[in-house]
Amino acid sequence: MSHQNKIIFKPTGMKTKIFTIAFLLFTAFIFAQNTISGKVLDQKGKPVPGANIYIDGTYDGATSSETGDFSFETTATGNQTLVISFLLFETFKKEIDVTNFKDQSLKLRENVNALDAVVITAGTLESGDKARVSVLKPLDIVTTAGSAGNIIAALQTLPGTQTVGEDGRLFVRGGEASETQTFVDGLRVAQPYGASTNNLPTRSRFSPFLFSGIAFSTGGYSAEYGEALSSVLLLNTQDEPDQNKTDIALMTVGLGIGNTQKWKKSSFSINTNYINLAPYQAVIPQNVDWNNPYQSIGGEAVYRYHFERGIFKFYAAFDAEKFDLNQKNVNFVDPVRTDLNNNNFYLNASYKGDFGTGWQLTSGISYGYSKNKVKYDINDVDSNENAAQLKLKLRKNISNYFKLSFGADYFITKFNENFDDNISIKTSNGYDSNIAAFYTEGDILFSKKLAMKVGVRLSNNSLLDETNFAPRASMAYKVSKNSQFSFAYGDFSQTPVVDYIKYSKYHQFESEKASHYILNYQFTKPGQTFRAEAYYKDYSNLVQYNTRDIQYNSVFNNNGSGYAKGLDLFWRDNNLYKNLEYWISYSYIDSERQYKNFPNMATPNFVANHSLSIVTKYFITDWKSQIGFTNSYSSGRPYNDPNQTQFMNGKTKSYNSLSFNWAYLLTTQKILYFSVSNVLGTQNVFGYDYAKLPDANGVYNRQPVLPTADRFFFVGFFWTISDNKNENQLKNL
Amino acid sequence: MKKIITLAAFLVVVISSAQTQFEQGMGKAFGLWKEGKNTEASALFERIAAAEKTSYLPNYYVALINATSSFNEKDKTKIDLLLTKAQEALDVELIKDQNNAELYALQALIYTAYVVADPMTNGMKYSAKVMEAYAKGKAIDPNNPRIVFGEADYQLGGAKWTGVDTKPLCAQVDKAVELFATFKPETSFSPKWGLDRALETQKNCEK
Repeated sequence: MSHQNKIIFKPTGMKTKIFTIAFLLFTAFIFAQNTISGKVLDQKGKPVPGANIYIDGTYDGATSSETGDFSFETTATGNQTLVISFLLFETFKKEIDVTNFKDQSLKLRENVNALDAVVITAGTLESGDKARVSVLKPLDIVTTAGSAGNIIAALQTLPGTQTVGEDGRLFVRGGEASETQTFVDGLRVAQPYGASTNNLPTRSRFSPFLFSGIAFSTGGYSAEYGEALSSVLLLNTQDEPDQNKTDIALMTVGLGIGNTQKWKKSSFSINTNYINLAPYQAVIPQNVDWNNPYQSIGGEAVYRYHFERGIFKFYAAFDAEKFDLNQKNVNFVDPVRTDLNNNNFYLNASYKGDFGTGWQLTSGISYGYSKNKVKYDINDVDSNENAAQLKLKLRKNISNYFKLSFGADYFITKFNENFDDNISIKTSNGYDSNIAAFYTEGDILFSKKLAMKVGVRLSNNSLLDETNFAPRASMAYKVSKNSQFSFAYGDFSQTPVVDYIKYSKYHQFESEKASHYILNYQFTKPGQTFRAEAYYKDYSNLVQYNTRDIQYNSVFNNNGSGYAKGLDLFWRDNNLYKNLEYWISYSYIDSERQYKNFPNMATPNFVANHSLSIVTKYFITDWKSQIGFTNSYSSGRPYNDPNQTQFMNGKTKSYNSLSFNWAYLLTTQKILYFSVSNVLGTQNVFGYDYAKLPDANGVYNRQPVLPTADRFFFVGFFWTISDNKNENQLKNL
Repeated sequence: MKKIITLAAFLVVVISSAQTQFEQGMGKAFGLWKEGKNTEASALFERIAAAEKTSYLPNYYVALINATSSFNEKDKTKIDLLLTKAQEALDVELIKDQNNAELYALQALIYTAYVVADPMTNGMKYSAKVMEAYAKGKAIDPNNPRIVFGEADYQLGGAKWTGVDTKPLCAQVDKAVELFATFKPETSFSPKWGLDRALETQKNCEK
């Protein structure tokens, strides 16, 4: 301001001193007062109260009143920058002449990055810190009764999924389990599930506690993801662990130990466990005759390094599983023995960072190796799969209103299976597949209320010798403060499952195809979420064959088709009663297909028309306990009874399971955990296996497909050792 | 000679008048805050912060006002706005200086506010962050009374249901009260708050 002028002015005596003081007063006087006034409005012309209006570089300013009006005086002169800042709006800057700025109306532009901007929600159920609209919280995966730390089991309490108890994998909206792909940090996991055999449920390989965010899409997802007909499950590992610690778990089914080390820019976590079901199965009656109970040893390790503008992550997981059991089979008098050994290795390295102005780069490589040795009766089936993905993605923030991303993927899969019946047949089948894909997608925000995403994916499959072009589009419109509509459309294609394409040398297969149409309504308030989603899915190009089982000499074609349509409802509420959280999911589905060896259009056996889940969690402070109940219900599922003329005419009775869990905090770092599934002991039947041939009376005999045990009990003790006495393993349960 | 003295005097006047402007502004903002005009106080601190990039204090108080206001707010959307504002202001200073214990004490307070706003949702996640922020602050200045007290107070808050032994924590509170008595703020505007709450907690400890 005027200080510099005063220094130049060199006073020499008393007189000048007086003069200077006078001058100072005088200057203070003439520089003093310019009034700046006006009104702050939003784009619709509504007043904005509480905005901070000031002249840049000075303290002169004011806060807008309830009517948006402001007025202040400034000693600044000439042309200055007027700044208006308010969190919900973009910061406004304008060059003004301070002598002549009165009663002006100023319009602020909405900050589209603000918390309440519209987000496209069609098809996507999110959990995590970064998710704006979170349906599940990260902790829910592990504190949901009945989930037993299995990510997939927790997701099965959400709408759009089917509980298929004898399989354990994710079945989404009339799709087979293989139609869902799992991605860790954007990279595909070729073998996301543990090893399994006939009618024994599997579980997810991933322990939930290394992941900070989960996005589960039941359809209409981004062009970034391909090779999935129904759904994608996106798991993101934590960028930064909390602290140095050691976790110890003692469970009725095994042991676990984990350790995390944190340095200035990097961190390392390792987690290992050994599971042996022998002691448990000795005590609790089983529906299955085990020769050797389920045993596994496994571990996961994550290393993270923070660069100035990016983060590098390295994730590796290994597990070895084995079990040996005798299963009753309707075709044989004696039970059939299955002896299984599986080794699985997964590696994933990724880098995500910013560069230049508004550019973001994501790149990575993943590799999965799975080796299965199965002895089925006297037959040996050995298979191994090598699967890798290379990925590069670039994203440019062109403005707050437009973002463009594009990228490329390369998938390599090598599979080989050797079959030996130890008498006469010895065969080997396999395939080699390379898929190159390119995609681009634009995110357009027209306003805080209207958003759109448009993309395409182009892929070329060398094995199938075909090129696919898949458009995707979605948009969302916010109708009021708390509610919005979204719509999504997309075309999806996927290479047929290994059961078919291992016979590629006998038949040239084509990709299976689906189109999704989804309409979503969502209402959110703090602590409350309601979603309703209607969808229609059109399947085409499905693989068909003409034999009872899939064989090398089956006659295959790609003429199958099908549809799925339905309605999914979800309600979550944390406000009803203090310390109580609950959610309710309901799904209605109508789906038919003519694929595999179906003689006509029919509902496949994994589809139940109605599914209902109710999940509750209640924290009792006086007992230092959290207790939870989950009730899962689904209506009967179809099965085919060869004694009847109509195909898939049978229907099982409905399924119900009530699970309970109780976590008790001995101290902050020591937790005792108890859970039991199917408390009521409901006798569930998943379906029926019929004999291949009729008996002497011409009747096909059957046996029910039952859970391996009616109930599952679990007791565990979890202990965290760290400097911070507040950390515990509640989230690992 | 006279000339030089006068010039020197002028320079002093100039410098002190520059300080006065900062002091006046800060003083006025503290006045508004005392009157309960939190929005206006925060806005003035924000203006001072925009003009005085060398002092961490204006942004510190923007963050402190918004974080403490959130404790009296029930509307979760507003709490989110207040805490986002607080975090943004604090981030500006944390990027400039990672060796100021006061900034970590305030960071811990913001995280605590998240926990208080919704313990069921935020408890697990932010508890670790609260403790981490205090640990960072402690590494820089182990005798900062706000850090010593804050760390003990946060754990005492959870002791009801975690079953943590309160004795050593209460000893820390006593230590903090002593530290408050000997604490000398660097400038008249530097952080010096916290004694009242420490005394209150001390009383509860004695019960």
